[in-house]
Amino acid sequence: MDPRYDIPTRRAAGVGGGSANSSPALGSQSRRRKMPPRPADFKLQIIIIGSRGVGKTSIMERFTDDTFCEACKSTVGVDFKIKTVELRGKKIRLQIWDTAGQERFNSITSAYYRSAKGIVLVYDITKQETFDDLPKWMKMIDKYASEEAELLLVGNKLDCETDRIISRQQGERFSSRISGMRFCEASAKDNFNVDEIFLKLVDDILSKMPLEVPNKELSNSVLSLQPEPEVPPELPPPRMRCC
Amino acid sequence: MDNDQQSKESTDRSDLVSEDGKNSKSVVCQRCGSKVLCPGMAVLVEKELFLPSMRKKSGPSTTEGSVDGDTLTTHWFVQDMFDFDNVGFTKDVGKIKYLICADCEIGPIGWHCLDDLTSYYVAVERVNHA
Repeated sequence: MDPRYDIPTRRAAGVGGGSANSSPALGSQSRRRKMPPRPADFKLQIIIIGSRGVGKTSIMERFTDDTFCEACKSTVGVDFKIKTVELRGKKIRLQIWDTAGQERFNSITSAYYRSAKGIVLVYDITKQETFDDLPKWMKMIDKYASEEAELLLVGNKLDCETDRIISRQQGERFSSRISGMRFCEASAKDNFNVDEIFLKLVDDILSKMPLEVPNKELSNSVLSLQPEPEVPPELPPPRMRCC
Repeated sequence: MDNDQQSKESTDRSDLVSEDGKNSKSVVCQRCGSKVLCPGMAVLVEKELFLPSMRKKSGPSTTEGSVDGDTLTTHWFVQDMFDFDNVGFTKDVGKIKYLICADCEIGPIGWHCLDDLTSYYVAVERVNHA
C-alpha cells in the first residue's frame, strides 16, 4: 500500500468531520472533467489483511473472474486493483489492496488502515496460528483504522474442509465479540463466497453512507443531480452471518 | 503483436474515437472481456511507451536482464485511476506500474509512471473495443 494512492479528502465528505488524514498529492477535485459518461457514485478503499499464507491474494484475484495470468503476475505481482460494482443503483469504484508480503503486524503502514472503508481480515481454517493471530490484527485495526470502517472476518480455505482445525463456531464467536464485524467462510480456490465477501462489505459501507448529496466532487455529474433512490433497509443486524 | 492486428487496428482507429476525441466504445480485455474503460472516459494520445510482452516466453529464451516487449505509440489516456472500470496495477518496476486486466490479470495492457499521478495509459493494441 502506498499513501500516494490514497483517495483524496473526498472520503471525509461522507462521514463529516476533519480530513487531515489523507494524501495531499492528487487534488482530484479540479481534475475531474465534465463528461457525459456516468461517473462513479462512490469510491471506496478496501484492504485485505491477515497472516501469511491465509489466501489474501487469492481473494483479491478471485473477486470476479477466475483465470490466472502467467506473464505479468508471476514476475512482478499485483499491487492493487480498481473494481467497479453496482449496488443499490449506485456505481461504486473499489480500490482493493492486498497486503501480501507485509504480514508482520507493524510493517503495514498506518496509512493503509486509515483510508480503508472496508477491512477484510482473513485467517486459514486449517491453521491454528492464523486464527490465534486475529487479536493482534484487531489491535492494529483499533489503533489505525477509522471507526467507521466495516470489518469482515473471513475463514478461508473452505476447500480444505478435511484439514479444518478452526470450527465455524469459533470464527463466529470471535466476530460476534467485535461490534459490527461480520463473519463468513470462503474458498478462494473454488471461488466460493468470494464475490459475496466484497458485495456484502460494500453493502454495509453504503448503508452507513449519508443518503443526501454525494460529495462536492461528484456533484457535477448527471447522475448525482437526480434524487437519490430510496435505500431499502434490507440488511440484517450486524451480527448476522453473511453466508 | 502480430501484424494482422496491427494493420487492422491502425485502419480502424478512427472508428474508435468520437467527435470529442474520446473512446466511442468500451475498452475491454482481449482475453476475458473484462471492461477496462467505459465509452467516453479516455482520450487517444500518441506517446512512445515500452511494454513488456503479454506472452511469457516458454523455455529459457530471453537473456538475463533483457525484457521482451513492444514499443507502442497509441494509447487511451485518463487522468484519474478512478476513471477505470476495472484495472489492476502491478507493483513498482522502477518508477513504473504496469496496468493489467483486473479479472484475468493478463498484461501489461498499460503504463503508469509514479512521477505523474495524473497520467494513466492503456495501449490501444493490447485491448479490444466493444
